[in-house]
Amino acid sequence: MTRDKNVTGVSIRIKNESSALRVTSEQVSDEILASQVARGNGAALETLYYRHASTVLAVSLKVIGDQAAAEDVLQETFWRVWRSASTYQPQRGSFTGWLFRIARNLAIDEYRRRNVRPPQMTVTDDADSILDQVADPDMDVAEQAQSVFKNRQVRDALASLPRMQRQVIEMAYFYGMTRQEIAEATGEALGTIHTRARLGLQKLREELERVEFEG
Amino acid sequence: MDQRQIEELLPFYALDALTEEERELVESYLAEHPEARAQIEEMSGAASSLPYSALPVEPPRRAKEALMARVAADAEARARASKHASRQPSRRVMRFENIFQAFSMGVATVAIVWAVILNTQLAQLRNEVSLLGDALIAQSNSLEQINAKLTQTTPAGAVTISLKGTDVQPDAYGQLIADPNSQSAVLVIAGLGQLEPGKIYQVWLIDGGGPKSAGILTVDANGQGLLILSSELAIGEFNSLGISIEPDGGSEQPTGDIVVLSDL
Repeated sequence: MTRDKNVTGVSIRIKNESSALRVTSEQVSDEILASQVARGNGAALETLYYRHASTVLAVSLKVIGDQAAAEDVLQETFWRVWRSASTYQPQRGSFTGWLFRIARNLAIDEYRRRNVRPPQMTVTDDADSILDQVADPDMDVAEQAQSVFKNRQVRDALASLPRMQRQVIEMAYFYGMTRQEIAEATGEALGTIHTRARLGLQKLREELERVEFEG
Repeated sequence: MDQRQIEELLPFYALDALTEEERELVESYLAEHPEARAQIEEMSGAASSLPYSALPVEPPRRAKEALMARVAADAEARARASKHASRQPSRRVMRFENIFQAFSMGVATVAIVWAVILNTQLAQLRNEVSLLGDALIAQSNSLEQINAKLTQTTPAGAVTISLKGTDVQPDAYGQLIADPNSQSAVLVIAGLGQLEPGKIYQVWLIDGGGPKSAGILTVDANGQGLLILSSELAIGEFNSLGISIEPDGGSEQPTGDIVVLSDL
């Protein structure tokens, strides 16, 4: 199979025996693919995986801080998409919003579970072959490039926020901490936490609009 | 909790970091204060970018293989369950099946595991074909014909335009995939309602001269449809696309409810 990928354009051509199908599936929206998954279409799930697995894994790893556990969350997230796609309602929000919420909640659950247990020894699984551990060569290069581009935009936007505003946003989003928990952890008044969250999100939105971020 | 206190919760609602009780309070407040929904949408838009702030990590191949093997096994199990449910065996056959049930299940389990290991790639390929195959059934056209048309209608310059349902059918959504310079395009729609007998969905391309019929859209039982449009003018010449409910056989101009209308 040969590939000719344009990382900035809409169209991605993959020349193989099913080129027409592949080209079309890559142009179909996440929401349409999700409706196909709801009908039991494994190829639609695989396409969604190629598009978003790297971001799901990134979020899980950021929350949990452990590669193996983050990979478990990645698998469980897409398994839940497979089993629950019929409950996704496009009119209530984007597919990625739904997907990332599943991943984040699973990761936070795992993070909390680990933080109430005594620390455990890390066990290296010698049975894993080198091939098993290498990056997946089938991952969509164009989507990967877009993810990296989006990452740069959002990181730069977050970096433009005052550090304390950024801290409140990250504690709430990535660790699911309530406003009371954040106030307790930072030693700040609850009112201060409210103000930082509101101003931080406002500034973040302005920065993302300025760089024309497309989520 | 007064209004000011509830408004203080809005950023944390957008960040999905409220307690269940707080979330319910905010949702009740939003139901009664539509003007606050605009604030929430702005804040939620910013919050939804946060997953991208984590540096993307390319997953190892084993992660996808494990997932897809699990999915393939589940798909097989569903297909078997569906086939089994559709059968209406006689009592005699049921007794026969009872005798061998345990043995059969054991053999089937081993066979499925073995098949999954050996045929993961084949199952993925089959699924890929079915991705469009399901939609193609709605059109009663051969796979070969559609593939040929899709290849013609998805050149490098193709753009994808999102389509939305009107107030008549707000759940409808879809996409038009087209090269603006081409006279053909692929329309994919989902979420359309079932029509009463004698009614059909008709697609219209609209320019300054008014609507021009672009074909009849057949919708399956799940409200999904696919149509290869063709037009005498380049798709880029049109301002918008609409879908209306018309009498069986179609109309020369839209006469019924317009269920989809989007700018091109």
